[in-house]
Amino acid sequence: MIVKGMIKAAILATVCFAGVAKAEETIVWWDFLGGGDGVRMKKLIEDFNAEHAGQIKIDATTLEWGTPFYAKVQTSAAVGEAPDMMTYHASRIPLAVQQGVLQELTADDFAAMGIGQADFAPATWDAVTVDGKQYAVPLDTHPIVLYYNKDLLSAAGMLDENGLPKGMDSGENFTATLQALKDNGVPFPLGSVTADGNFMFRTIYSLVGQQGGELMTDGEFLAGDNGDKLANALGVLAGWTKAGLQSTYTDYPATVALFTSGEAAMMINGVWEVPTMTDLAAQGKLFNWGAVELPVIFDKPSTYADSHAFALPANKGKDMTPEKRAAVLTAISWIEKNSLFWATAGHIPAYAPVTKTPEYAAMQPNATYSSLTANMIFDPKTPLAGVAGPIFDVMSTYFVPTLNGELDPAEAVASIKEELNGL
Amino acid sequence: MLINRRKDTLIAAVLVAPFLAIYLLVFIWPTVQMFGISFTDAPLIGDGNFVGLDNYARLDSDPRFRTAAWNTAYFVLLTVLPGTIVALLIALGVSRLKGRAQSAVLALFFLPYILPVSVVYLIWDWVLNFQFGISMHILDWLGIDRVPITKTRAWFMPAMAVVTIWWTAGFSILLFLAGLRAIPAEIYEAASLDNASRWTVFRKITWPLLYPITSLVFTIQLISQLKIFDQVYLFSQGGRPNDNMVLVYYVFQRAFQQDQGGRAAAVAVTLFVLVVAVSVLQFQLLRLSGGRR
Repeated sequence: MIVKGMIKAAILATVCFAGVAKAEETIVWWDFLGGGDGVRMKKLIEDFNAEHAGQIKIDATTLEWGTPFYAKVQTSAAVGEAPDMMTYHASRIPLAVQQGVLQELTADDFAAMGIGQADFAPATWDAVTVDGKQYAVPLDTHPIVLYYNKDLLSAAGMLDENGLPKGMDSGENFTATLQALKDNGVPFPLGSVTADGNFMFRTIYSLVGQQGGELMTDGEFLAGDNGDKLANALGVLAGWTKAGLQSTYTDYPATVALFTSGEAAMMINGVWEVPTMTDLAAQGKLFNWGAVELPVIFDKPSTYADSHAFALPANKGKDMTPEKRAAVLTAISWIEKNSLFWATAGHIPAYAPVTKTPEYAAMQPNATYSSLTANMIFDPKTPLAGVAGPIFDVMSTYFVPTLNGELDPAEAVASIKEELNGL
Repeated sequence: MLINRRKDTLIAAVLVAPFLAIYLLVFIWPTVQMFGISFTDAPLIGDGNFVGLDNYARLDSDPRFRTAAWNTAYFVLLTVLPGTIVALLIALGVSRLKGRAQSAVLALFFLPYILPVSVVYLIWDWVLNFQFGISMHILDWLGIDRVPITKTRAWFMPAMAVVTIWWTAGFSILLFLAGLRAIPAEIYEAASLDNASRWTVFRKITWPLLYPITSLVFTIQLISQLKIFDQVYLFSQGGRPNDNMVLVYYVFQRAFQQDQGGRAAAVAVTLFVLVVAVSVLQFQLLRLSGGRR
């Protein structure tokens, strides 16, 4: 009898244990996606949860973009309170590795996800790699593009037969397009975030890239003629201000508002504003619009891009269970493979099998601007780079006065050089 | 009556203990730590190496620290004395009203004070925004060129001063009103019997009797304005924070944006010493000038 009882107990214990092992795994998720793209990510998470009901559940929290997000990740990882996974900017990865905030993703992890190097563009893969190790899975690349108001451009005779803006091939011709819009009574031919140097970094760095310039070579900032190339880029933008062709002292929300209200005919902004336009257009509150790769102001096309990626924080004194890790990898893999929907947020999915589908090729305006993927440049790989990082910060200080005509481009470059090399 | 001194001390100790424990834990201990960190090259999280006075020595040649110190001083200059004067004037006006009217007007002046700073920011951004602000439309209407008030160096601090005075004057007005009510009506009656002019009444009666309140308001203003951060942070978002830098913002930037705990602590210690020195100095000055009468 006693033996029988013990066997019964053993069976019961096994059943119970199996039950525990099969219990739903909750993934704590943090992101900084607060705009139109955040709404789309929430939808993806809902779909994932529905499909994995009873097995895996993502518990997602959206935090404030930029410094608040990264400060919170850093402090919480230090005391073992960080989430199981989070979104991360590829440009911030070198700093994160130096701070010891991220876990390495091993070859086994990628095998478990069924994803590998071959699925990503080389530059995108490189952006999550530090010293030959991967620290994140790229979700997308999000470049800046030129938005334009087809109605205003057409009225000024500045649309070609394909409905694209004229003058995209040189600085002179593009300036002529802006001037034609001005002459046709458009208050701001180009809506520019001229009050926010952080934002303008993206445009200006793109223009430096169009001259083949680099921010950092062998650990030195703006060496050789790279300083002159930065001054050229600033000079073009300052020239537009001087000629009254772009909005001055305009902050980010105001720039978007100037464009959507039809006061600005064009706008250089991130692809993440695509949902804003599609949603407004769907409500019938927007003119005919389009988005294209940036104009070639200098020698060759070049566009600055950053990449949203998924990363696993290195929680101090807290080891992830193999079950939890497997669940997190499942979630990342699922979202990567379903990132066609993420493309409706404007971003270009990093997972190549998605961008090769006919559905993606038919998606507008994404298909029009996706040509730029061949010309993308990323941040220099240094712990000083990244959104809301020190490079952003120093440059932004001098961009605002230069773009609004308070400071000479050459003087600005001299000050930027001095401050950057002193970091 | 017999007093058990030992028992009294014990009760006092028990009553004070909870406060003291929390005070030591969350104020004194971190402050001591901050002094320690300021002599190291620690990042935001974790320990650093001892670097002696390096972090302090660097402040001397640090242009951003200089901007921060200058802007803070400028802001204090623009808010403390003007803020006190504005509050005093409004309080004098409100005290002339009677009954319901007085309560209503006082409520209007006090209303901004209960708003959170983020709301204050939104309200004033709607007013001052270069593209969409209400005041810009007024300028257009008057035929004057628009002024990018929160986006240029020359206008930023004065604008912050106006916003801050608008936001915080309510509390000072309340203190002044309490002070005015404490002045006995008989003194004013006696003065009016002597045919004293309004100015004489103010100079010889109101001002001296209100002096303790004035110096209190002044001190509170001085300390809180030295610690300015919120308004500058909010209005500089997506703007030019490095030109609008103030000391507390600089501590935040060094620590959280640049991951330099040691250098941030050095700035924080400097600010701490500054606040203590200025408060003591100001208290002594007010005491001396008060004692002259």
